[in-house]
Amino acid sequence: MNTRIKELRKENKLSQEELALAVGTTRQTISSIETGKYVASLPLAYKIARYFGLTIEEVFDLSEYIE
Amino acid sequence: MKGFEKMDNYKKVIKKRIWILSFLVLLAVGLGIFDTFWASAEMKKSKIFAFQCGAVTALGVFSACLLIHYKKILQNEEDLKIQYNKENDERMKAIKAKAGMPMLLITSIVMIIVGVIAGYFNFTIFFTLIIAAVCQLLTSFVVKLVYMKIM
Repeated sequence: MNTRIKELRKENKLSQEELALAVGTTRQTISSIETGKYVASLPLAYKIARYFGLTIEEVFDLSEYIE
Repeated sequence: MKGFEKMDNYKKVIKKRIWILSFLVLLAVGLGIFDTFWASAEMKKSKIFAFQCGAVTALGVFSACLLIHYKKILQNEEDLKIQYNKENDERMKAIKAKAGMPMLLITSIVMIIVGVIAGYFNFTIFFTLIIAAVCQLLTSFVVKLVYMKIM
């Protein structure tokens, strides 16, 4: 799944570690989500989106799940 | 549950773990003293006795290292949060579930304990159980590594 996490992190000058600490996960999970290897659960996606003050759809590309 | 409540509960969990680990360290030291001073000469000749001594030493050292780690993270709120995040990370939980943890670890430990006890009566059972337990643990470890790479 494509996400805008990396772009948003860069905009906010945040490291993966800082974001991970803020949303209650690990740096490795943030890295896996950014590279599309792992799809975040709904609660984690919500926490990440809320952290950036956006909605889930604005952070995660859900087009492949919408028919 | 609010963040500070979660961390307070986690602190209690860590304190409980420190108590359990302290008990394990004391147990290992006690068994080590018994093995050194009170075990019979006949017992000391046994290969299983050597394995048991090694396993008890490993248990003691491993418990002591974990004990130091937990004591250290209890003194730093950020380290405590990082540890909490590590333990509750959804990706790692998914990987561990795929690798059969924690049940595979529990069954392996039980097999090792039973193997050591049975070994005093039958050496073949000891070898069979220890090899089976090690194979289980190795398989789980490899599966975990594979999923850590692809997830």
